[in-house]
Amino acid sequence: MAKLTKPVNLKVFTSQRTEANGSKIRACMDCGQFMSLLRIYEGNSNGKLTIEELSIDDNPEFAKRYDIQRVPTVLFIDDKGREVIRYLAAPQAGEIQPFIQAIFAFAGAPNYYEATIKQNLNRINPSTIKVMITNSCPYCPQVATIANLFAIASDGKIRTIIVDIATNPDIGQYYDAAGVPYTIVNDQKAISGMVGPDVILRSLIGGNIHVQY
Amino acid sequence: MYNIEVGLPDPDKVFDMIILGGGPTALGCAIYAARFAMDILVIGKVYGGLIMTTHIVENYPGITSVSGTRLMEMFRDHINSLSIQYISDEIRSIEKEDNHFVLKSYFGKFKALTVLLATGSERRKLGIPGEEEFTGRGVSYCATCDGPFFTDKVLAVIGGSDSAAKEALFLAQHAKKVYIIYRREEIRAEPINKKRVYENKKIEIINNTNIVEIKGDESGVKSVIFDNGREFEVDGVFIEIGSDPNSILAKRIGVERNVKGEIIINRKSETNIPGIYAAGDVADSPFKQAITGVSEGVTAAYAAFDYLKNVKIEY
Repeated sequence: MAKLTKPVNLKVFTSQRTEANGSKIRACMDCGQFMSLLRIYEGNSNGKLTIEELSIDDNPEFAKRYDIQRVPTVLFIDDKGREVIRYLAAPQAGEIQPFIQAIFAFAGAPNYYEATIKQNLNRINPSTIKVMITNSCPYCPQVATIANLFAIASDGKIRTIIVDIATNPDIGQYYDAAGVPYTIVNDQKAISGMVGPDVILRSLIGGNIHVQY
Repeated sequence: MYNIEVGLPDPDKVFDMIILGGGPTALGCAIYAARFAMDILVIGKVYGGLIMTTHIVENYPGITSVSGTRLMEMFRDHINSLSIQYISDEIRSIEKEDNHFVLKSYFGKFKALTVLLATGSERRKLGIPGEEEFTGRGVSYCATCDGPFFTDKVLAVIGGSDSAAKEALFLAQHAKKVYIIYRREEIRAEPINKKRVYENKKIEIINNTNIVEIKGDESGVKSVIFDNGREFEVDGVFIEIGSDPNSILAKRIGVERNVKGEIIINRKSETNIPGIYAAGDVADSPFKQAITGVSEGVTAAYAAFDYLKNVKIEY
Protein backbone atom coordinates (compact mmCIF):
# COMPACT_ATOMS: atom_id res chain seq x y z
CA MET A 1 0.00 0.00 0.00
CA ALA A 2 3.00 2.26 0.43
CA LYS A 3 3.28 2.27 -3.39
CA LEU A 4 -0.09 3.99 -3.84
CA THR A 5 0.47 7.22 -5.73
CA LYS A 6 -2.97 8.82 -5.41
CA PRO A 7 -5.51 8.95 -2.59
CA VAL A 8 -8.21 6.27 -2.52
CA ASN A 9 -11.27 6.39 -0.29
CA LEU A 10 -13.28 3.25 0.32
CA LYS A 11 -16.67 3.34 1.98
CA VAL A 12 -17.20 0.22 4.05
CA PHE A 13 -20.68 -0.36 5.40
CA THR A 14 -20.91 -2.46 8.53
CA SER A 15 -23.46 -2.88 11.28
CA GLN A 16 -22.60 -1.72 14.77
CA ARG A 17 -24.72 -2.35 17.81
CA THR A 18 -24.43 0.08 20.73
CA GLU A 19 -24.18 -1.65 24.10
CA ALA A 20 -25.67 -0.32 27.35
CA ASN A 21 -22.27 1.09 28.37
CA GLY A 22 -22.02 3.00 25.11
CA SER A 23 -19.44 0.75 23.48
CA LYS A 24 -20.04 -0.44 19.95
CA ILE A 25 -19.89 -4.01 18.71
CA ARG A 26 -19.89 -4.99 15.07
CA ALA A 27 -22.91 -7.19 14.53
CA CYS A 28 -21.91 -8.86 11.26
CA MET A 29 -19.76 -11.94 11.52
CA ASP A 30 -17.11 -11.05 8.91
CA CYS A 31 -16.93 -7.32 9.57
CA GLY A 32 -14.52 -7.29 12.53
CA GLN A 33 -11.77 -9.33 10.90
CA PHE A 34 -12.21 -7.57 7.58
CA MET A 35 -12.05 -4.10 9.16
CA SER A 36 -8.88 -5.09 11.04
CA LEU A 37 -7.28 -6.05 7.73
CA LEU A 38 -8.40 -2.84 6.05
CA ARG A 39 -7.01 -0.78 8.94
CA ILE A 40 -3.62 -2.47 8.42
CA TYR A 41 -3.70 -1.55 4.73
CA GLU A 42 -4.71 1.98 5.64
CA GLY A 43 -1.90 2.24 8.19
CA ASN A 44 0.67 1.11 5.61
CA SER A 45 -0.44 3.48 2.86
CA ASN A 46 1.33 6.68 3.93
CA GLY A 47 -2.07 8.32 4.22
CA LYS A 48 -3.11 7.49 0.63
CA LEU A 49 -5.79 4.91 1.51
CA THR A 50 -8.71 6.05 3.64
CA ILE A 51 -11.17 3.52 4.98
CA GLU A 52 -14.45 5.16 5.89
CA GLU A 53 -16.46 2.77 8.04
CA LEU A 54 -20.13 3.61 8.08
CA SER A 55 -22.51 1.70 10.31
CA ILE A 56 -25.87 1.27 8.67
CA ASP A 57 -27.38 1.60 12.15
CA ASP A 58 -25.84 5.02 12.77
CA ASN A 59 -26.00 6.24 9.18
CA PRO A 60 -29.34 5.13 7.78
CA GLU A 61 -29.36 8.08 5.39
CA PHE A 62 -26.05 6.92 3.87
CA ALA A 63 -27.32 3.38 3.67
CA LYS A 64 -30.38 4.61 1.82
CA ARG A 65 -28.40 6.89 -0.48
CA TYR A 66 -26.05 4.08 -1.51
CA ASP A 67 -28.72 1.37 -1.51
CA ILE A 68 -26.97 -0.72 1.13
CA GLN A 69 -28.99 -3.80 1.98
CA ARG A 70 -26.36 -6.06 3.49
CA VAL A 71 -23.09 -5.89 5.36
CA PRO A 72 -20.25 -5.76 4.79
CA THR A 73 -20.55 -3.76 1.59
CA VAL A 74 -17.52 -1.98 0.16
CA LEU A 75 -17.92 0.81 -2.38
CA PHE A 76 -15.35 2.24 -4.77
CA ILE A 77 -16.76 5.62 -5.74
CA ASP A 78 -14.95 7.77 -8.30
CA ASP A 79 -14.26 11.49 -8.02
CA LYS A 80 -17.45 12.21 -10.00
CA GLY A 81 -19.50 10.37 -7.37
CA ARG A 82 -20.13 7.31 -9.55
CA GLU A 83 -20.08 3.86 -8.03
CA VAL A 84 -17.47 1.82 -9.91
CA ILE A 85 -17.13 -1.34 -7.83
CA ARG A 86 -19.33 -2.82 -5.11
CA TYR A 87 -18.17 -5.73 -2.98
CA LEU A 88 -20.91 -7.69 -1.25
CA ALA A 89 -18.18 -9.67 0.41
CA ALA A 90 -15.39 -9.54 2.94
CA PRO A 91 -12.58 -10.70 0.64
CA GLN A 92 -10.32 -13.30 2.21
CA ALA A 93 -7.68 -15.75 0.98
CA GLY A 94 -7.30 -15.58 -2.81
CA GLU A 95 -9.95 -12.87 -3.10
CA ILE A 96 -7.67 -10.36 -1.40
CA GLN A 97 -5.54 -10.15 -4.55
CA PRO A 98 -8.19 -8.69 -6.91
CA PHE A 99 -9.37 -6.39 -4.13
CA ILE A 100 -5.88 -4.93 -3.67
CA GLN A 101 -5.32 -4.77 -7.41
CA ALA A 102 -8.58 -2.81 -7.72
CA ILE A 103 -7.35 -0.34 -5.10
CA PHE A 104 -4.13 0.22 -7.08
CA ALA A 105 -5.88 0.53 -10.44
CA PHE A 106 -8.41 2.88 -8.86
CA ALA A 107 -5.44 5.03 -7.80
CA GLY A 108 -4.26 5.17 -11.41
CA ALA A 109 -1.87 2.20 -11.61
CA PRO A 110 -1.46 0.79 -15.16
CA ASN A 111 -4.52 -1.12 -16.33
CA TYR A 112 -3.81 -3.68 -19.05
CA TYR A 113 -7.37 -3.66 -20.43
CA GLU A 114 -7.79 0.13 -20.52
CA ALA A 115 -6.84 0.79 -24.16
CA THR A 116 -9.26 -1.73 -25.65
CA ILE A 117 -12.06 -0.78 -23.25
CA LYS A 118 -11.67 2.86 -24.23
CA GLN A 119 -11.60 2.02 -27.95
CA ASN A 120 -14.91 0.19 -27.59
CA LEU A 121 -16.52 2.51 -25.04
CA ASN A 122 -18.98 4.09 -27.45
CA ARG A 123 -20.33 0.59 -28.22
CA ILE A 124 -20.95 -0.27 -24.58
CA ASN A 125 -24.22 0.75 -22.95
CA PRO A 126 -24.19 1.51 -19.22
CA SER A 127 -23.62 -1.96 -17.84
CA THR A 128 -23.29 -4.01 -14.69
CA ILE A 129 -21.07 -7.07 -14.38
CA LYS A 130 -21.94 -9.27 -11.41
CA VAL A 131 -19.35 -11.87 -10.42
CA MET A 132 -20.47 -14.55 -7.99
CA ILE A 133 -17.54 -15.86 -5.98
CA THR A 134 -16.58 -17.76 -2.87
CA ASN A 135 -13.37 -17.30 -0.94
CA SER A 136 -12.27 -20.87 -1.70
CA CYS A 137 -12.84 -20.78 -5.46
CA PRO A 138 -9.54 -21.03 -7.39
CA TYR A 139 -10.61 -19.22 -10.56
CA CYS A 140 -12.78 -16.50 -8.99
CA PRO A 141 -9.92 -14.05 -8.30
CA GLN A 142 -9.05 -13.98 -11.99
CA VAL A 143 -12.58 -13.17 -13.13
CA ALA A 144 -13.05 -10.62 -10.33
CA THR A 145 -9.82 -8.89 -11.39
CA ILE A 146 -10.91 -8.64 -15.03
CA ALA A 147 -14.35 -7.29 -14.09
CA ASN A 148 -12.89 -4.77 -11.65
CA LEU A 149 -10.30 -3.52 -14.15
CA PHE A 150 -12.97 -3.22 -16.87
CA ALA A 151 -15.08 -1.04 -14.57
CA ILE A 152 -12.14 1.16 -13.58
CA ALA A 153 -11.18 1.67 -17.26
CA SER A 154 -14.71 2.46 -18.41
CA ASP A 155 -15.15 6.04 -17.28
CA GLY A 156 -18.36 5.21 -15.45
CA LYS A 157 -19.93 3.06 -18.18
CA ILE A 158 -19.38 -0.26 -16.41
CA ARG A 159 -20.12 -1.08 -12.79
CA THR A 160 -18.88 -4.29 -11.21
CA ILE A 161 -20.53 -6.06 -8.29
CA ILE A 162 -18.59 -8.86 -6.61
CA VAL A 163 -20.85 -11.12 -4.57
CA ASP A 164 -19.67 -13.79 -2.14
CA ILE A 165 -22.51 -16.27 -2.48
CA ALA A 166 -21.32 -18.33 0.48
CA THR A 167 -22.25 -15.40 2.73
CA ASN A 168 -25.06 -14.15 0.49
CA PRO A 169 -26.66 -17.46 -0.56
CA ASP A 170 -29.98 -15.81 -1.42
CA ILE A 171 -28.30 -13.88 -4.24
CA GLY A 172 -26.73 -17.10 -5.56
CA GLN A 173 -30.11 -18.82 -5.45
CA TYR A 174 -31.80 -15.88 -7.16
CA TYR A 175 -29.40 -16.27 -10.09
CA ASP A 176 -29.45 -20.11 -10.02
CA ALA A 177 -25.70 -20.18 -9.37
CA ALA A 178 -24.60 -23.60 -8.16
CA GLY A 179 -21.01 -23.04 -9.19
CA VAL A 180 -18.41 -20.31 -9.17
CA PRO A 181 -17.17 -18.17 -10.73
CA TYR A 182 -20.52 -17.23 -12.19
CA THR A 183 -20.55 -14.03 -14.21
CA ILE A 184 -23.73 -12.19 -15.14
CA VAL A 185 -23.67 -9.32 -17.61
CA ASN A 186 -26.55 -6.88 -17.32
CA ASP A 187 -28.72 -9.48 -15.59
CA GLN A 188 -29.07 -11.24 -18.94
CA LYS A 189 -26.09 -13.29 -20.02
CA ALA A 190 -24.75 -15.73 -17.43
CA ILE A 191 -21.34 -17.34 -17.92
CA SER A 192 -20.43 -20.29 -15.73
CA GLY A 193 -16.81 -21.05 -14.83
CA MET A 194 -13.56 -19.36 -15.76
CA VAL A 195 -14.08 -16.68 -18.38
CA GLY A 196 -11.53 -14.53 -20.16
CA PRO A 197 -11.58 -10.79 -20.82
CA ASP A 198 -12.52 -11.13 -24.48
CA VAL A 199 -15.68 -13.10 -23.67
CA ILE A 200 -16.80 -10.57 -21.06
CA LEU A 201 -16.11 -7.66 -23.39
CA ARG A 202 -18.02 -9.28 -26.25
CA SER A 203 -20.96 -9.78 -23.88
CA LEU A 204 -20.86 -6.10 -22.99
CA ILE A 205 -20.64 -4.96 -26.62
CA GLY A 206 -23.01 -7.54 -28.05
CA GLY A 207 -20.69 -7.96 -31.02
CA ASN A 208 -17.09 -8.15 -32.13
CA ILE A 209 -14.32 -6.27 -30.37
CA HIS A 210 -12.70 -3.41 -32.29
CA VAL A 211 -9.00 -3.13 -31.66
CA GLN A 212 -6.32 -0.86 -33.06
CA TYR A 213 -2.82 -1.46 -31.76
CA MET B 1 -3.17 -10.71 -12.69
CA TYR B 2 -0.77 -11.43 -9.92
CA ASN B 3 1.38 -8.37 -10.29
CA ILE B 4 -0.32 -5.40 -8.74
CA GLU B 5 0.61 -2.96 -11.46
CA VAL B 6 0.31 -4.49 -14.92
CA GLY B 7 -0.09 -2.23 -17.90
CA LEU B 8 0.14 -2.78 -21.63
CA PRO B 9 3.79 -3.23 -22.65
CA ASP B 10 5.26 -1.02 -25.38
CA PRO B 11 4.05 -2.68 -28.63
CA ASP B 12 7.45 -2.06 -30.27
CA LYS B 13 9.42 -3.78 -27.55
CA VAL B 14 10.84 -7.16 -28.63
CA PHE B 15 10.89 -9.65 -25.76
CA ASP B 16 13.41 -12.47 -25.71
CA MET B 17 10.59 -14.87 -25.00
CA ILE B 18 6.84 -14.72 -24.61
CA ILE B 19 5.44 -17.65 -22.67
CA LEU B 20 1.84 -18.55 -23.40
CA GLY B 21 0.17 -20.31 -20.50
CA GLY B 22 -0.52 -19.88 -16.83
CA GLY B 23 0.19 -23.30 -15.38
CA PRO B 24 3.26 -24.91 -13.79
CA THR B 25 4.85 -25.54 -17.22
CA ALA B 26 4.70 -21.88 -18.24
CA LEU B 27 5.77 -20.56 -14.87
CA GLY B 28 8.59 -23.10 -14.52
CA CYS B 29 9.92 -21.89 -17.87
CA ALA B 30 9.48 -18.26 -16.76
CA ILE B 31 11.50 -18.79 -13.58
CA TYR B 32 14.44 -20.28 -15.46
CA ALA B 33 14.26 -17.79 -18.33
CA ALA B 34 14.29 -14.90 -15.85
CA ARG B 35 17.31 -16.40 -14.14
CA PHE B 36 19.01 -16.60 -17.58
CA ALA B 37 18.43 -12.81 -17.67
CA MET B 38 16.05 -13.18 -20.60
CA ASP B 39 13.51 -10.40 -21.09
CA ILE B 40 10.23 -12.29 -20.86
CA LEU B 41 6.48 -11.86 -20.60
CA VAL B 42 3.94 -14.49 -19.54
CA ILE B 43 0.44 -14.33 -21.04
CA GLY B 44 -2.00 -16.85 -19.63
CA LYS B 45 -5.67 -17.49 -20.24
CA VAL B 46 -6.04 -19.15 -16.84
CA TYR B 47 -3.57 -18.49 -14.06
CA GLY B 48 -2.54 -21.79 -12.51
CA GLY B 49 -3.99 -23.97 -15.23
CA LEU B 50 -5.92 -27.16 -14.56
CA ILE B 51 -3.92 -28.05 -11.46
CA MET B 52 -5.73 -25.22 -9.65
CA THR B 53 -8.72 -27.52 -9.42
CA THR B 54 -6.78 -30.39 -7.88
CA HIS B 55 -7.64 -30.48 -4.22
CA ILE B 56 -4.53 -32.41 -3.22
CA VAL B 57 -1.13 -32.79 -4.89
CA GLU B 58 1.08 -35.40 -3.25
CA ASN B 59 3.63 -36.11 -5.97
CA TYR B 60 5.44 -32.81 -6.43
CA PRO B 61 8.94 -33.48 -5.07
CA GLY B 62 9.79 -31.55 -1.95
CA ILE B 63 6.17 -30.92 -1.01
CA THR B 64 4.52 -33.80 0.79
CA SER B 65 0.96 -32.62 0.36
CA VAL B 66 -0.50 -29.38 -0.94
CA SER B 67 -3.65 -28.21 -2.70
CA GLY B 68 -3.28 -27.28 -6.37
CA THR B 69 -4.33 -23.73 -5.56
CA ARG B 70 -1.73 -23.40 -2.82
CA LEU B 71 0.96 -24.87 -5.06
CA MET B 72 0.23 -22.24 -7.68
CA GLU B 73 0.26 -19.52 -5.02
CA MET B 74 3.80 -20.67 -4.26
CA PHE B 75 4.65 -20.45 -7.97
CA ARG B 76 3.12 -16.96 -7.96
CA ASP B 77 5.30 -15.87 -5.07
CA HIS B 78 8.29 -17.25 -6.92
CA ILE B 79 7.58 -15.39 -10.19
CA ASN B 80 6.79 -12.21 -8.26
CA SER B 81 10.14 -12.47 -6.50
CA LEU B 82 11.78 -12.39 -9.94
CA SER B 83 9.57 -9.46 -11.09
CA ILE B 84 8.14 -11.56 -13.91
CA GLN B 85 5.21 -9.83 -15.57
CA TYR B 86 2.07 -11.96 -15.93
CA ILE B 87 -0.90 -10.86 -18.05
CA SER B 88 -4.32 -12.50 -18.02
CA ASP B 89 -5.30 -12.70 -21.68
CA GLU B 90 -5.53 -15.05 -24.65
CA ILE B 91 -3.37 -14.66 -27.75
CA ARG B 92 -5.36 -15.23 -30.94
CA SER B 93 -2.65 -14.94 -33.61
CA ILE B 94 1.09 -15.37 -34.07
CA GLU B 95 2.93 -14.25 -37.19
CA LYS B 96 6.57 -14.31 -38.16
CA GLU B 97 7.98 -10.89 -39.05
CA ASP B 98 11.69 -10.52 -39.85
CA ASN B 99 13.54 -12.32 -37.06
CA HIS B 100 10.75 -12.15 -34.49
CA PHE B 101 7.17 -13.20 -33.87
CA VAL B 102 4.21 -10.83 -33.53
CA LEU B 103 1.48 -11.97 -31.17
CA LYS B 104 -1.94 -10.33 -30.99
CA SER B 105 -4.86 -10.51 -28.61
CA TYR B 106 -7.93 -8.29 -28.34
CA PHE B 107 -6.06 -6.25 -25.73
CA GLY B 108 -2.50 -6.03 -26.95
CA LYS B 109 0.16 -6.61 -29.57
CA PHE B 110 3.49 -8.10 -28.56
CA LYS B 111 6.80 -8.98 -30.18
CA ALA B 112 9.18 -11.75 -29.19
CA LEU B 113 12.20 -13.54 -30.58
CA THR B 114 10.97 -16.86 -29.19
CA VAL B 115 7.62 -18.22 -28.02
CA LEU B 116 6.74 -21.07 -25.68
CA LEU B 117 3.36 -22.70 -26.21
CA ALA B 118 2.38 -24.00 -22.79
CA THR B 119 -1.31 -23.58 -23.42
CA GLY B 120 -2.27 -26.77 -21.62
CA SER B 121 -5.46 -28.67 -22.18
CA GLU B 122 -9.15 -28.19 -21.70
CA ARG B 123 -11.63 -30.42 -19.92
CA ARG B 124 -13.37 -32.79 -22.26
CA LYS B 125 -17.14 -32.63 -22.32
CA LEU B 126 -19.57 -35.53 -22.53
CA GLY B 127 -21.61 -33.93 -25.30
CA ILE B 128 -24.90 -35.32 -24.04
CA PRO B 129 -28.31 -33.66 -23.63
CA GLY B 130 -28.56 -31.59 -20.45
CA GLU B 131 -24.82 -31.08 -20.01
CA GLU B 132 -24.67 -27.54 -21.34
CA GLU B 133 -28.13 -26.60 -20.05
CA PHE B 134 -27.22 -27.47 -16.46
CA THR B 135 -23.59 -26.30 -16.43
CA GLY B 136 -23.28 -24.06 -13.38
CA ARG B 137 -26.60 -25.39 -12.10
CA GLY B 138 -25.51 -28.84 -11.01
CA VAL B 139 -23.13 -29.85 -13.78
CA SER B 140 -19.54 -28.96 -12.94
CA TYR B 141 -16.00 -29.56 -14.14
CA CYS B 142 -14.36 -28.35 -10.91
CA ALA B 143 -14.94 -30.08 -7.59
CA THR B 144 -12.74 -27.63 -5.73
CA CYS B 145 -14.80 -24.70 -7.05
CA ASP B 146 -18.26 -26.16 -6.64
CA GLY B 147 -18.06 -29.04 -4.16
CA PRO B 148 -19.03 -26.90 -1.14
CA PHE B 149 -22.39 -26.12 -2.81
CA PHE B 150 -23.36 -29.79 -2.52
CA THR B 151 -23.17 -30.40 1.21
CA ASP B 152 -25.18 -33.53 2.13
CA LYS B 153 -26.22 -34.04 -1.49
CA VAL B 154 -25.92 -37.08 -3.75
CA LEU B 155 -23.38 -36.64 -6.51
CA ALA B 156 -22.10 -38.44 -9.58
CA VAL B 157 -18.50 -38.24 -10.75
CA ILE B 158 -18.19 -39.28 -14.36
CA GLY B 159 -14.86 -40.87 -15.27
CA GLY B 160 -12.37 -43.38 -13.94
CA SER B 161 -9.02 -41.60 -14.03
CA ASP B 162 -6.84 -40.64 -11.10
CA SER B 163 -8.30 -37.13 -11.35
CA ALA B 164 -11.83 -38.55 -11.15
CA ALA B 165 -10.89 -40.56 -8.05
CA LYS B 166 -9.43 -37.46 -6.39
CA GLU B 167 -12.53 -35.43 -7.28
CA ALA B 168 -14.70 -38.11 -5.69
CA LEU B 169 -12.55 -38.13 -2.54
CA PHE B 170 -12.82 -34.35 -2.27
CA LEU B 171 -16.55 -34.33 -2.89
CA ALA B 172 -17.08 -37.05 -0.29
CA GLN B 173 -15.93 -34.52 2.32
CA HIS B 174 -19.07 -32.48 1.54
CA ALA B 175 -21.63 -34.80 -0.01
CA LYS B 176 -23.84 -37.46 1.54
CA LYS B 177 -22.98 -39.93 -1.22
CA VAL B 178 -20.72 -39.93 -4.27
CA TYR B 179 -21.12 -42.37 -7.15
CA ILE B 180 -18.23 -42.80 -9.57
CA ILE B 181 -19.78 -43.76 -12.88
CA TYR B 182 -17.25 -45.31 -15.20
CA ARG B 183 -17.61 -46.91 -18.60
CA ARG B 184 -15.04 -49.65 -17.96
CA GLU B 185 -14.58 -52.51 -15.50
CA GLU B 186 -12.17 -50.89 -13.06
CA ILE B 187 -11.12 -47.31 -12.36
CA ARG B 188 -7.59 -46.34 -13.48
CA ALA B 189 -6.56 -44.25 -10.46
CA GLU B 190 -3.10 -44.42 -8.95
CA PRO B 191 -3.04 -47.33 -6.47
CA ILE B 192 -2.88 -44.98 -3.46
CA ASN B 193 -6.02 -43.11 -4.56
CA LYS B 194 -7.79 -46.27 -5.68
CA LYS B 195 -7.31 -47.67 -2.18
CA ARG B 196 -8.69 -44.47 -0.65
CA VAL B 197 -11.74 -44.64 -2.90
CA TYR B 198 -12.43 -48.27 -2.01
CA GLU B 199 -12.06 -47.52 1.69
CA ASN B 200 -14.34 -44.47 1.64
CA LYS B 201 -17.82 -45.55 2.74
CA LYS B 202 -19.43 -42.56 1.06
CA ILE B 203 -18.10 -43.53 -2.38
CA GLU B 204 -19.61 -46.22 -4.55
CA ILE B 205 -18.44 -47.20 -8.03
CA ILE B 206 -20.88 -48.01 -10.82
CA ASN B 207 -18.84 -49.81 -13.49
CA ASN B 208 -19.46 -50.53 -17.15
CA THR B 209 -21.91 -47.69 -17.39
CA ASN B 210 -22.20 -44.57 -19.51
CA ILE B 211 -24.58 -41.72 -18.93
CA VAL B 212 -26.54 -40.56 -21.95
CA GLU B 213 -28.54 -37.65 -20.53
CA ILE B 214 -28.65 -35.26 -17.59
CA LYS B 215 -32.12 -34.27 -16.49
CA GLY B 216 -33.38 -31.57 -14.18
CA ASP B 217 -35.70 -28.63 -13.75
CA GLU B 218 -35.47 -24.93 -12.98
CA SER B 219 -33.83 -25.73 -9.61
CA GLY B 220 -30.99 -27.72 -11.21
CA VAL B 221 -29.94 -31.31 -11.84
CA LYS B 222 -32.28 -34.07 -10.68
CA SER B 223 -31.04 -37.26 -12.34
CA VAL B 224 -28.89 -38.91 -14.97
CA ILE B 225 -29.95 -41.53 -17.49
CA PHE B 226 -27.72 -44.57 -17.91
CA ASP B 227 -27.11 -46.27 -21.26
CA ASN B 228 -29.23 -49.19 -20.04
CA GLY B 229 -32.18 -46.80 -19.75
CA ARG B 230 -32.19 -46.57 -15.96
CA GLU B 231 -32.88 -43.15 -14.43
CA PHE B 232 -30.61 -42.48 -11.45
CA GLU B 233 -31.33 -39.65 -9.01
CA VAL B 234 -28.46 -37.27 -8.23
CA ASP B 235 -28.20 -33.62 -7.20
CA GLY B 236 -25.02 -32.85 -9.09
CA VAL B 237 -22.78 -34.22 -11.83
CA PHE B 238 -19.01 -33.69 -11.86
CA ILE B 239 -17.44 -34.51 -15.21
CA GLU B 240 -13.83 -35.68 -15.23
CA ILE B 241 -13.27 -37.59 -18.45
CA GLY B 242 -9.90 -36.24 -19.47
CA SER B 243 -8.85 -33.27 -21.51
CA ASP B 244 -7.90 -32.19 -25.02
CA PRO B 245 -4.80 -30.15 -25.91
CA ASN B 246 -5.27 -26.42 -26.47
CA SER B 247 -3.35 -26.39 -29.73
CA ILE B 248 -5.56 -24.42 -32.13
CA LEU B 249 -3.14 -21.48 -32.12
CA ALA B 250 -0.27 -23.87 -32.89
CA LYS B 251 -2.23 -25.32 -35.79
CA ARG B 252 -2.88 -21.86 -37.24
CA ILE B 253 0.83 -21.08 -37.43
CA GLY B 254 1.86 -24.40 -38.91
CA VAL B 255 3.27 -26.10 -35.83
CA GLU B 256 3.17 -29.85 -36.38
CA ARG B 257 0.73 -31.83 -34.24
CA ASN B 258 -0.04 -35.51 -33.87
CA VAL B 259 -3.43 -37.15 -34.43
CA LYS B 260 -4.50 -36.26 -30.90
CA GLY B 261 -3.81 -32.60 -31.61
CA GLU B 262 -0.75 -32.57 -29.35
CA ILE B 263 2.24 -30.50 -30.46
CA ILE B 264 5.19 -32.66 -31.53
CA ILE B 265 8.35 -31.70 -29.65
CA ASN B 266 11.87 -33.05 -29.37
CA ARG B 267 14.01 -33.44 -26.25
CA LYS B 268 14.78 -29.70 -26.32
CA SER B 269 11.04 -28.89 -26.35
CA GLU B 270 11.52 -27.53 -29.87
CA THR B 271 8.71 -27.66 -32.42
CA ASN B 272 9.18 -27.81 -36.19
CA ILE B 273 9.32 -23.98 -36.30
CA PRO B 274 12.65 -22.52 -35.11
CA GLY B 275 12.06 -20.22 -32.13
CA ILE B 276 8.74 -21.81 -31.19
CA TYR B 277 8.77 -24.25 -28.30
CA ALA B 278 6.04 -26.29 -26.65
CA ALA B 279 5.78 -28.03 -23.30
CA GLY B 280 3.36 -29.55 -20.84
CA ASP B 281 -0.13 -30.87 -21.49
CA VAL B 282 -0.27 -29.38 -24.98
CA ALA B 283 2.82 -31.34 -26.08
CA ASP B 284 3.02 -34.97 -27.18
CA SER B 285 4.61 -36.38 -24.04
CA PRO B 286 2.83 -39.56 -22.93
CA PHE B 287 2.93 -38.86 -19.19
CA LYS B 288 1.35 -35.54 -18.26
CA GLN B 289 2.06 -34.30 -14.77
CA ALA B 290 2.93 -30.93 -13.25
CA ILE B 291 6.47 -32.09 -12.69
CA THR B 292 6.97 -33.32 -16.27
CA GLY B 293 5.46 -30.12 -17.62
CA VAL B 294 7.82 -28.03 -15.50
CA SER B 295 10.70 -30.12 -16.78
CA GLU B 296 9.74 -29.54 -20.41
CA GLY B 297 9.18 -25.83 -19.75
CA VAL B 298 12.58 -25.46 -18.12
CA THR B 299 14.16 -27.34 -21.03
CA ALA B 300 12.48 -24.89 -23.41
CA ALA B 301 13.90 -21.95 -21.44
CA TYR B 302 17.41 -23.32 -21.82
CA ALA B 303 16.95 -24.17 -25.51
CA ALA B 304 15.60 -20.67 -26.19
CA PHE B 305 18.48 -19.12 -24.26
CA ASP B 306 20.86 -21.04 -26.49
CA TYR B 307 18.92 -20.15 -29.67
CA LEU B 308 18.90 -16.45 -28.78
CA LYS B 309 22.69 -16.28 -28.80
CA ASN B 310 22.62 -16.81 -32.57
CA VAL B 311 19.49 -14.77 -33.29
CA LYS B 312 20.75 -11.78 -31.34
CA ILE B 313 24.06 -11.83 -33.21
CA GLU B 314 22.16 -11.76 -36.52
CA TYR B 315 19.92 -9.02 -35.15
